[in-house]
Amino acid sequence: MSSRIIENKVDIDYLQKLDPSGEFRLTACLQCARCSSGCTMREETDFLPHQLNRMAILGLEKELMGSKAIWMCVSCQTCFSRCPMQVNTPAMIDKLRGMALDAPGELKRVKIFNDVMLSSIKRFGRTYDFMLMAIYKLRSGDLFTDLTKLPAMLRKGKFNLFPPRTAGRKSVRGIFNRVFGRREQR
Amino acid sequence: MKYSFFPGCSLESTARDFGMSVHAVAKALAIELEEIPDWTCCGSTPAHATDAVLAAALPARNLLAAEKAGRDVVVCCASCYGRLASANYELAKDEKLRSEVASIIGQEYSGGLKVRHLLEVLIKDVGTSEIRDLVVRPLKGLKVACYYGCLLTRPPELSIADEPEDPRLMEELLEAVGAETIEWPYKTECCGASFSITRVETVKRLCSEILKMADESGANCIAVACPLCQTNLDLRQLDIEEKFNLPVFYFTQLLGLALGLSNEKLGIGKLMTDPTKVLQFC
Repeated sequence: MSSRIIENKVDIDYLQKLDPSGEFRLTACLQCARCSSGCTMREETDFLPHQLNRMAILGLEKELMGSKAIWMCVSCQTCFSRCPMQVNTPAMIDKLRGMALDAPGELKRVKIFNDVMLSSIKRFGRTYDFMLMAIYKLRSGDLFTDLTKLPAMLRKGKFNLFPPRTAGRKSVRGIFNRVFGRREQR
Repeated sequence: MKYSFFPGCSLESTARDFGMSVHAVAKALAIELEEIPDWTCCGSTPAHATDAVLAAALPARNLLAAEKAGRDVVVCCASCYGRLASANYELAKDEKLRSEVASIIGQEYSGGLKVRHLLEVLIKDVGTSEIRDLVVRPLKGLKVACYYGCLLTRPPELSIADEPEDPRLMEELLEAVGAETIEWPYKTECCGASFSITRVETVKRLCSEILKMADESGANCIAVACPLCQTNLDLRQLDIEEKFNLPVFYFTQLLGLALGLSNEKLGIGKLMTDPTKVLQFC
């Protein structure tokens, strides 16, 4: 990849696809790396925010889609908040997550969790933690993590066994159907 | 003072104690929090990590429901605050998004309401001098590390504090009720809450760094304004090898104690790290 960075050619077509209205301001990035110096995940991730910005400008789609970084982002907004050029890296990462079909390796869990939580919201209008956790555990295969905390949380009334009853769930279902219906058309 | 209130899902489950203490404190301070009729989930991180239109439409549905009352919307959960405030901001300035969301939810929301966090309402609308007058039990002996986490102050456009890198709202409030607050550098670091289910090792590392800094800076407890931060910092103390014993209170619980409200009303018994020792002095 490093040789392609040296070539230094901005990939207009890819930028158009990633950010048609230019709201992420990727081309304003100065590569000052102020974002990366404060990144919560700097110790664990494969690419830092300023590197992701550069990769996007150069159109390195395959590398971005396969990166751990887009799934490792904790959405803390530190990079965007400190950027002197207001480059919105978190919004770009969100867009990339929406475009990437799957997360690499162990990070698949992040995608599974997102999907399971969204289906809980679609069904009940609010999150239903008990069912959400049960389905997440079955789908991710991560059965035992935090299981020992369940009794205390139930005792302290911090975990509802029964689903929320929300009259608004029907309109929420409509929102989901229309949003995802359009995504499929695109 | 009357506001539209968005409780958010966690105030009715994992953060029930936050919900209890918010209502108890509001009542004591004559703040009326009228629940947004038929509110639904803001979508949180899973929505914005999946689709930008969905992430704006779910909050917009709630803001539309609040629009009839025309009052400021008060939110307590930092994640809900981030989502509602962000959708509000984006919808007001982005015409394309506004019409796209309108076609999804069947009605246009123009971003005319103000979305605010309870902490900011307490400082700016009620005022610390007003609160100071109502204190019956000054929180002497408490050395509080005020922890804001990410989404109350980031991005700066949506920050509840004028100084996003060094917010002081919680400090002002808790000092007004007799607690001592400590100076420490990690008050806006991220605890990794969006990974609390999926990447426990990451969360343990981040929480342990925050707890360690609070401990070394001389705090004997932590105050938070976010249900996800609370659960993370409180519950993960059980997992981290180093033992800290730092109770993690909601700011509303500490305020409520100072106003003379009972432990039961404030849900103090629901904390995982036992606070009795810290509270015995006040």
